[in-house]
Amino acid sequence: MCVAEVRREFVLRIARAAGVIPAVLGLIEGRGEALPRGDETDMAILDAALAIEHHAIAIYDAGLKRGLFPAGLRSYAVEFRGDHVGHRDTQVSISEERGGRPSEALSHYDLGPLEPGDAFVRQALQIEVAAQQAYTALISRIDTRDYLLSAAFILVDEVRHVTVWRRVLGLKIY
Amino acid sequence: MASTGRRRFLRGAAAAPLALLARPPAAGATDYASAEEVFNAIDRREADAEGRLAAIARAVGGAEPFARSVAADDARHRVEREKLRRRLKLAASTPPVPPAKPDASLARLREVQQQLVHAHAEGLPALGDAGAVAVLARHMVDASRHLTVIDLWIEAEDVRG
Repeated sequence: MCVAEVRREFVLRIARAAGVIPAVLGLIEGRGEALPRGDETDMAILDAALAIEHHAIAIYDAGLKRGLFPAGLRSYAVEFRGDHVGHRDTQVSISEERGGRPSEALSHYDLGPLEPGDAFVRQALQIEVAAQQAYTALISRIDTRDYLLSAAFILVDEVRHVTVWRRVLGLKIY
Repeated sequence: MASTGRRRFLRGAAAAPLALLARPPAAGATDYASAEEVFNAIDRREADAEGRLAAIARAVGGAEPFARSVAADDARHRVEREKLRRRLKLAASTPPVPPAKPDASLARLREVQQQLVHAHAEGLPALGDAGAVAVLARHMVDASRHLTVIDLWIEAEDVRG
């Protein structure tokens, strides 16, 4: 399996675990052409996005509580966790305004071995790449202007997170 | 920090009635009325940012590879925007005039690059076409990445003193 497939499978695993509907899973996989734009699709996208935000918050919480981020990078981790909390709250608010019942965080997340240092930065990068890919895949199916605007700014944040962690790990950023 | 303004918008949005969510994220932000306005704004800001980065790269050793990479991304984006303009039956772009003597400061470059990112983000809802949103969202990903590289560059300069 190539890196892109591994990443896509990671996004899909998170989304499946959160009960995201197959049509949205199809969009993330790049085969969702038939999904109509409208309120129902927006709500399904909100659910998928919330699943990823909950997962990201769980990873940053674990890393910050257990001191797994390398020294000097904690401020980035705090900033990025704050971004994800903001993304979650915004999307919960949008969902509730439309009469939806936004999904809550799972009681337990399987976060893997939780090794400190660069290994944990790689883990944080993995969820950030998942988030970036999911929002990029889903954004064009969002129907309403308010959610589309919010999703655009959320995607900008996800790109920042990915770029910073890639830089930290010495990966190509341009 | 680079995302402070966005975070303020998102946190404010979470607490605000839905009608307020579509409000632009900061004073001076643009509520675009048409796809053509969006494309024109992106054309202008992209040329401005690219001109400033090129000026900095001429003056600062080591910045050339980044400037070349950004220029290559921008060139690809321009071609894709022209295709979208044709498909959406919009007027062809008129090449924007880059600043004659651009201010070669990183802070000003960052400001202009952020305006480019915001033009994409604030422009998506005005496009009215899913295909165009998909293309410009991918361009926005590149522009946001460039913005973060500039942020990291500024942070490194600050550390160096």
